[in-house]
Amino acid sequence: MDITSLFAALPGNIAQGIIWGVMALGVYLTFRVLNIADLTVDGSFATGGAVTVVLITNGVPVPVAILVAVLAGALAGLCTGILHTVLGIPDILAGILSQIALYSINLDIMSGCANMAVNVMKYKLLLSLRNVPGAILVSLIFVVVIIALMYWYLGTEQGSALRSTGNNPAMSRAQGININMMKVIALSLSNALVALSGGLIAQYQGFADINMGRGAIVIGLAAVIIGEVIGNAIFKKKMNFVLRLSFVVIGAIIYYIVIGIVLWLHMPTNDLKLFTAIIVAIFLAVPYLKGTANNSFRKAAKRGAGK
Amino acid sequence: MKKKLLAIMLTAAMAVTTITACGGNTGSSTGGSDATQNVSNPNAKYNVGVCQLVQHPALDAATEGFTAALRDSLGEDVNITIQNAAGDSATCATITNTFVSDGVDLIMANATPALQAAVSSTGDIPIVGTSVTDYATALELDSWNGKTGINVTGTSDLAPLAEQAAMLKDIFPASTYKNVGILYCAAEANSKYQAEEITKELTEMGYAVSDYTFSDTNDVAAVTTNACQNCDVIYIPTDNTAASCTETIDSVARPAGVPIVAGEEGICKVCGTVTLSINYYDIGYAAGEMAVQILKDGKDPKDMEIGFAKNVTKEFNPEICSALGITVPDDYKEIAKD
Repeated sequence: MDITSLFAALPGNIAQGIIWGVMALGVYLTFRVLNIADLTVDGSFATGGAVTVVLITNGVPVPVAILVAVLAGALAGLCTGILHTVLGIPDILAGILSQIALYSINLDIMSGCANMAVNVMKYKLLLSLRNVPGAILVSLIFVVVIIALMYWYLGTEQGSALRSTGNNPAMSRAQGININMMKVIALSLSNALVALSGGLIAQYQGFADINMGRGAIVIGLAAVIIGEVIGNAIFKKKMNFVLRLSFVVIGAIIYYIVIGIVLWLHMPTNDLKLFTAIIVAIFLAVPYLKGTANNSFRKAAKRGAGK
Repeated sequence: MKKKLLAIMLTAAMAVTTITACGGNTGSSTGGSDATQNVSNPNAKYNVGVCQLVQHPALDAATEGFTAALRDSLGEDVNITIQNAAGDSATCATITNTFVSDGVDLIMANATPALQAAVSSTGDIPIVGTSVTDYATALELDSWNGKTGINVTGTSDLAPLAEQAAMLKDIFPASTYKNVGILYCAAEANSKYQAEEITKELTEMGYAVSDYTFSDTNDVAAVTTNACQNCDVIYIPTDNTAASCTETIDSVARPAGVPIVAGEEGICKVCGTVTLSINYYDIGYAAGEMAVQILKDGKDPKDMEIGFAKNVTKEFNPEICSALGITVPDDYKEIAKD
């Protein structure tokens, strides 16, 4: 139980956190901007990994493989969007349907193999566990570019329409915004980011696995919420949009540092999922409970009772 | 101010959850074999990290065998840290990265994703694998001569497929049992490999072989029903999902009167007729002996051949065999009931 070993493992946890941060940014787009908890991500994360590994092992250059993975993710999001908007299936269910379908599709992508290796010694991978500082650098570049693009895009006319769709769909429709189109666009963009993250993780850990996306949505939500709470605590009202996005990634990093601490403490990993769920529940519940406590009606009632 | 207080509260909540959960470890160490092994001895000569993919009887037995082998040869000279990724392949990467940054002397990787994560983490620290069926596929090696040629060696859990095919032929001859169905989970790389290998063997013997795959525990019953309708005999490889659904498979196959040949003892115990089984404790122990050779005798893993299970036993399930009217030769051992 040596504290130095915890610090020595820190860079690895940070690298993993930043890469999952890309995924968390995708979750932010649906969960916070669009106000939908999109469960497609559990499937599209593995799709990103599978497409990347299959293409790389077939001799396709890494950047092209990543690009195709991103497009595959966008396609998955498009399917969820169509199920939801054109076919009128509730958003949660549409996501679950895509997720289940992607399980089979991912297996087909990897020609029936549940697990495919991509050997770091044979290909020029963008990042790998072998070179943790390099992985941090590469993933950081990805994150910075993505945050810049998201900042720019959500400020454009279409981006503003997208945000207003999430805030108030009825009013947005009244203003002439095609809200179904906005939902499909956001779901596609979100899953494109998730697939990108899956492709990076597959290279980082040296393999793609059919189960690699299992529970990804929870990690994404955990990152979004942890980042939000901490960001709000530090910057209060000064929290702007770029900071908000940055803190999503920081949330993911914190999540993986916590996992590192859990492993370092030799806590039974059987309870890891329960532990994650408890943390996310606490981070979700506390701001809400605090909000109700500060509710003006309740304050008025208290004042009334005091009289 | 209030927000800051909130942040402090949340951090405290996280810390408390971590600590209580950690306290649970020392309190309830009955389930895992690892609790006592993790006590560190500051004077130990060697540090070994074990990364296991998931809680599973077979993998647990392999880890147990591995630690027993290290303890038998090195005694207190070795510190063994056991980490379990709880089925989350991404956590394997976190674990192996921790081992590398700790500077362990050797990593033991139990199951394929654990091995792949370990190989991605380090090119120098020796890695010993176990419960990995096919090292060439797992590590994506082009040429295969029994050694990996890198810092990796270990033992395979490959069931003796040729012998299993021969056993199937002995008891269920192709003249009456023409159609063989292979039942396994499509998500398990090891099962697919075994299915391909035994299909080659069986086709040569004159059987008509077809695959019946399910994607998770939910469609096992439906796929098994389909297999029973179309096949005379079913073969199940060492498949983890099938192993957890043996009751379901039995309740479909036995009424249909279709006998099952199993790739391992655990499956055969509930739903199979006969099996040739390997022992995961033994392959774990063999991996441990290889680790000792690397640590103590300075052997290089790239020169060490991948080991296979040495002892296989022919076993039969008396209850199902008599229900289906199947008689087995005398050299088959009765599977012990739990």
